[in-house]
Amino acid sequence: MSFAERMLQIDRRIIFLVIGLCTLIPLFYPVGLAIKVGPEVRGVYNYIESLPEGSVFLLSLDFDPASKPELYPQAVALLRHAFKKNLRVIGMTLWLPGTGMANEVITRVAEEMGKEAGKDYVFLGWSPGGSSVIINMGQDLYKAFPTDYNNQPTKDLAVLKDVKTLRDVSYVVSLAAGSTGIESWYVFGKDKYKFELGGGCTGVIAPGLYPLLRSGQINGLIGGLRGAAEYEVLIGQKGRAVAGMDAQSATHVAIIILVMLCNTFYLMLRKGQRRAGQA
Amino acid sequence: MPFDILFGAWVATGLTLFIFTFLYKDNPLFKLAEHLYVGVSVGYTIVKAYDTVVIRLIYEPMVKQGDWSLLIPLGIGSLMLARYVPKATWLSRIAFAFIVGVGSGLAIPRVISSFILKQVEDTVRPLVSIVGGSPSFTFSLLDPASNLNAVILLVGVVSVLFYFFFSIEHHGPVRIAAHTGIIFLMIAFGAAFGYTVMARMSLLIGRLTDLIEYAEPRYGRASLWLIAATVALLAAWSVKQRRQPAPPTE
Repeated sequence: MSFAERMLQIDRRIIFLVIGLCTLIPLFYPVGLAIKVGPEVRGVYNYIESLPEGSVFLLSLDFDPASKPELYPQAVALLRHAFKKNLRVIGMTLWLPGTGMANEVITRVAEEMGKEAGKDYVFLGWSPGGSSVIINMGQDLYKAFPTDYNNQPTKDLAVLKDVKTLRDVSYVVSLAAGSTGIESWYVFGKDKYKFELGGGCTGVIAPGLYPLLRSGQINGLIGGLRGAAEYEVLIGQKGRAVAGMDAQSATHVAIIILVMLCNTFYLMLRKGQRRAGQA
Repeated sequence: MPFDILFGAWVATGLTLFIFTFLYKDNPLFKLAEHLYVGVSVGYTIVKAYDTVVIRLIYEPMVKQGDWSLLIPLGIGSLMLARYVPKATWLSRIAFAFIVGVGSGLAIPRVISSFILKQVEDTVRPLVSIVGGSPSFTFSLLDPASNLNAVILLVGVVSVLFYFFFSIEHHGPVRIAAHTGIIFLMIAFGAAFGYTVMARMSLLIGRLTDLIEYAEPRYGRASLWLIAATVALLAAWSVKQRRQPAPPTE
């Protein structure tokens, strides 16, 4: 058996080990590689930055715990920015399995920033209907969510003063892990009720959302853990996303090297087989 | 540290490690964690849906606030359950017809407007700009609005459409266009795959970051103890597997 053949039949667990080490070592010994902020992430940041104090910011956490490593740091960074700007924050989710986690992140960041529930922010929770919840909110927010997550009547909340429908919301950001997310907010929300929309998403669905960004249907896009790291750099509060960027770079380098090696061994094997065929 | 947080850290660490054991090979620890994940997810969804829909949106408004108009959607929704009664199955069609009719009516015009008309509008951009009365051409690849990008976009869209045009054989200029389309498709698939790799690595980073955090003394060094326990259990299971006689061959 030739060297190339042996390499192509290597135990896959060795590759798992290599990737594992490439992730772990930078987490223990961070290098602090530079993070360049892209225009997509800057679009969301600049819009929030331009909002006057007291504006209504709706954050829809449309993901479940399976996407937590990518979207949770985005939620933390966006909430820190919004609370720092003294915006009125409305949290909600279109994904039922993520309700508890969404409540936890909003409550935790609000406590950290010294904000009061019902006055500075509210978490509405989940309401059935998927995308039609957005239409319902566009007609009457209080019918879609008669009570908040803690069963308090939404009509009595100071944070929702003068907010009757989605038309009264200054900016909506959907953090999405799948189909009921940014696209739904555009199709059933922005296109009809004319609020500004930004997005944050997992890396898997990011390429499919770039056409919406280019056409101006969304004004910014935070893509995956990398996007979260860029946002953390912009607000000047480095967190878990920035900490993970060295590991991300290391694993990417490892994967590129592995792909190149595999192709080299494959070409060597094919060349050897051709020679054997000619002889 | 509160007991619930400590307990949650130990459970999360243990289940993460059990799932990771699949990288060695399929084993009972992985199966335990997998079944727990499915069971807990479904259980959580049922409880939250019951609390939100049945209690908060139906029972409380009707009984406490006297909003009996909710009986109409409740009645239509209940017809779905007629599927379980063979003689009354036809009643469920009313509910399905309502859902399909309303869903299609709401979605079709909005989706056409958002995903077809808006995207066509964005694709058909001027290939040459007029600045100060004279034509100009911008070459920046980094600027999405540059003329060069407009040309690339146009070539990409047209060539990919040619590739998916199967009514005629791909010969001559059509073949060149179709092959150009393949190049654009490959670039798109490569970009999508690259993002997918990034996303999967992010998930691994997320779990490993948690494991590192839970190895701290304030969590009772959960990660370290549970790594030792998981490795011991996996080793014991492997030894047991090896000692078992091989199944008879026919």
